[in-house]
Parts: sequence; structure tokens; C-alpha cells
Amino acid sequence: MKRCLALAAAIAAVALLALLLDPRGYWIRVLTFTLLFAAMAQAWNIVGGLANQTSLGHAAFFGIGAYTSTVLLLKFGISPWLGMLAGGALGGLAALVIAIPTMRLQGHYFALATLAFGEVMRVIANVWTSLTGGPGGLSVPFVPPSLAGYSFKLLRPHAYIALAALVAVTAVFEIIRRGAMGYRLRAIKQNPAAAEVIGVDTTRVKLQAAVISGALIAMLGTLYAQVAVFFDPDTVFGIASISIRIALIAIIGGVGTAAGPILGAFFIIPLEEVMNDLLSSRAAGLSQLVFGVILISVILWQPRGFITVFGALRARLSRAGVP
Amino acid sequence: MTILDVRSLSRRFGGLQALSEVTFSVNQGEIVGVIGPNGAGKTTLFSTLVGLIRPDAGTVTLDGKDLAGLKPHTVASLGMTKTFQNVALFAESSVLDNVLTAGLLRHGVDAARSEALNCLDRVGLRAVAHKQAGNLSFPERARVELARALCTAPKVLLLDEVMAALNPAEMAGIMRLIRSLRDDGVTLLVVEHHMRAIMNVCDRILVLNFGRLLADGTPGQVASDPKVIEAYLGRSVEAAHR
Repeated sequence: MKRCLALAAAIAAVALLALLLDPRGYWIRVLTFTLLFAAMAQAWNIVGGLANQTSLGHAAFFGIGAYTSTVLLLKFGISPWLGMLAGGALGGLAALVIAIPTMRLQGHYFALATLAFGEVMRVIANVWTSLTGGPGGLSVPFVPPSLAGYSFKLLRPHAYIALAALVAVTAVFEIIRRGAMGYRLRAIKQNPAAAEVIGVDTTRVKLQAAVISGALIAMLGTLYAQVAVFFDPDTVFGIASISIRIALIAIIGGVGTAAGPILGAFFIIPLEEVMNDLLSSRAAGLSQLVFGVILISVILWQPRGFITVFGALRARLSRAGVP
Repeated sequence: MTILDVRSLSRRFGGLQALSEVTFSVNQGEIVGVIGPNGAGKTTLFSTLVGLIRPDAGTVTLDGKDLAGLKPHTVASLGMTKTFQNVALFAESSVLDNVLTAGLLRHGVDAARSEALNCLDRVGLRAVAHKQAGNLSFPERARVELARALCTAPKVLLLDEVMAALNPAEMAGIMRLIRSLRDDGVTLLVVEHHMRAIMNVCDRILVLNFGRLLADGTPGQVASDPKVIEAYLGRSVEAAHR
């Protein structure tokens, strides 16, 4: 109950923040991308956190989602909302196809295999010019503003949609974590042989997690395309821009917890923006350098992510008798 | 009534014949001990029965169903599971969650939870249900293993050295539990090094040596079988001089 209230308060605070920010301004854009990346990291968290398979290839599904809805809109005038569903289906299918051979791999080997898959998708998108426009990228065509057409004059509705997406993906994550699938995934993560022997179909559960995660992140690709309006293969299929960034967000915040990716995104995305704003004019690469130093410091300080700080804080408060 | 039938089961690891033409059958409700010197193939036999290891040859039939090619989770759902000799708990999860996960084989989460608490009651660990499994003592962890296996509601339960490192009182408790499980209709195969315990609790004993079935009989027959004595103690001095 107290958790639900806290959650409602947090959602209300973000909604209010979106109202207060200049609707044509820079910060509402930062807020929108922060919410979007939090949702992406949460989708990644299903595989990376619950199943403990550190995927570095989630850009593959993200890009599939961005391209599917945009190509459907460009070539057939199909609403991005429907395009999002189509992208989700394709993303889930791609996740299934890649999960079948990689599922038995562990640790670094899994990370490398998924990384390679993401790169393959990036190369395909660059080469398949007739469909994707190649390295030149795609512009999302302008349609008259309407909710049904997923087109708005201002950024505010985009922020709300990103917030709704974050809430939805977090709900999916929590339902999985608390349900039978969560128990099974934790069992597989800790001892796959023992899990099998007590009746867990390890292959099936891993595939389910991969497909749900891939489908969700593909759907978020559509949201990204609609906000960004223009994108190219190197952005949506990018290792640093997508795959590693979302893994980093979840890791900095706290892997395997619902709050982790949200904390991580609200730290990393604004920090990146501020660093670029403050330092990029001083010396080339300075902002990235400072950003990197901050990230390394955080991980050295809290190897299990920000979430542990909150856990310790709560424990201290409850010891002090504060309700 | 035969519940488990094993025919000519063989498995080789490189140059080691871990199981060689092992044939036996077990009746429903029997408690069968599996003994043999270290490396005799006892754990390999259990792993092969539940499908963790594929046999090179031979068949395993559970309650009339051929288990060839089935994965361990399917074997578990058909009613046979095992505990792990070196204890394979989900160390970071709570004791309750360890057992609950097994209950999910036949129940939803809520029913699995109450089933898990029943199983913990049976092994006397309900008091530590919310402790992290990795923080328990070794004998306690072995009992969590047992509770977890029980929570799959097995027809045939394979216990791999659950009494290792137990004191006599705890051992007596496990033996009582084994008998009460049998009274509930569970069939048990028990690997144990503690001879007095196994002679006491088992109806029948299988002796393995170098992957071969050396003897199959009542505890009394097996204990006086010269081949068994030889496998355990070596050949007698007179026999060696003859």
C-alpha cells in the first residue's frame, strides 16, 4: 500500500515536471528521453537482471522497432501505433531467433554473441538501402497532429507517452519478477541443473524472457522514432548509443530490481546532457572523459548500483523509528 | 508393482566406464539403498535416471513410461527427481523460495507457497524459512534440498547422501522421514556411505562397483556376500596367497 502511494506520487511528480517545463524547450526533451531510456533499461532488465544474461545486443530489437513503424508509415501510411505492434512482433521474433543459439552461452560469451548480432543488424540496415534508406537514415514523415496518428505539435504528449511506457514496462517486469516466471528465472540464474531437476523447463523460460524483453524494447523503438523524427542505422542499432547505454543504466541503478533502471536513467541521461552542455566547448572529448570518470566512481562506490544506497537509507530510517 | 525399471544402462566418460549394463527394478513403496566404493557410479546412476546425463545404451522406464531422451524437467513432472550430493541450492534465495520454486511444477505461486511450507515442516526447517539458503549450515542445507525435492510431489525420490555430515540425532530424524515418505507411497532410492543407517532403513540394497551392479538383495544377503566384502575391503590375505 505504502509502495503504491510512493509510486503514484513519483508518477504525479514526473507528470507535473512535464507540465512545468517549457513545452518547446530543451529540458522536456531530456525528460522524454530519460523516461524512454528508463523504459528501455527496464525491458533489458528482464533478460539482464532476472535471467542474469548480460545482453549487449538489445539495439538489434530496438532498431527493428524503430524501422518497422517508420517504414510502414512511409510506404503504406500505417499509423505508428499499429506499426509499434508490428515492430513488437518482429522484435520478439528476432529475439527468439537469436536466443535459440545463444541461450546456452554464459557470461562474456553471451555478451559477445549478442553484441555481434546487434552489429549484424546495423550492417544490414546500412546496406539494405531500398528499405531503410541506408546510412542516410529515415525521416519520420509529418502528419497532421493527432493522438491516433501519434503526431503532436509539442513535446509534452511525447513525455506523457514515454511515462506511460515506463509504467507499463515496469509493471510487466514486476509481474514477471513476483510470479512463477520470476522464481524460475532466479532458479536458472543460480543453478540451472538443479532448476531442471526440480521441474523447471529452463529452455522454455529463457526463451520466454528473451522474447518478452525483445518485443518490449522493439515497441519502445517506435516511441524513439516518433520523438527523434530522424534516425539512421548507427543511432538505433548503435552499440554505444543503445546497447551499452541501456545495460549501463540498469547496472548503475541496480540490476534485477524494478527501481534500478529508473534511478539509473534519471542519473545517466541528464548527466550526459549536462556534461555535453558544460564541457563540449572547452576541449574535444572532455565531456566524455568526465562522464566516464563519474560512472567509474559510482560503480566503485556502489558496485551493485544506486539501489543499495536507498536500501541502506531505508534500513537506517526504520532503525531510527521513522515510519 | 514395478515403478522403476532399469535395463542394461551404460555410460562412458572418455576412458572411464561409469555405468556398465546396470539392470534392476524397483517396486512401488520400496526403500532401496545404493552403495559402493567412491567412484563406483552411484551419482552417475542417479543423474542418468533423472535425465541430467544421457546414457550411451539401455532404458529407464518410470511407471510404464520410457524416459529415453526426456529432459530432467519432464522426468520431474512424470514423478522422479533427485537431490544433489554436494548440495545445489539457490544460495541467494530464501529457504522458502528454494522450495516454492519446486512447488511451481504442480501449483500456482500461492498454492506452491503453502505446499513449500508443508515440506519445510516435514524436514523441520519451517523456523528458518525466511533465511537466505546460502547462510545455513551444511546439514540444514541438505535438508532444504530434501524439502525442495519433496515439493515436486515425486513418486520416486532419489536421495544422494542427504545424511552426510549429520549427527546421530539428525540422522535418526531423516530415517524417520524416509520411512514416513514410504508410508505415503513414495518410492525411495538412497545413496549413503553410512552403513548402519542404510542397512537399517532399506528393504533392499544395490551394490555398485566400477559401474557394474555387483549385488542386489536384502541388507542381510548383501552384507554377507563375499563379492561385496571384497569390493569394500579388498581380497582377504589367504585368498591373495592362494
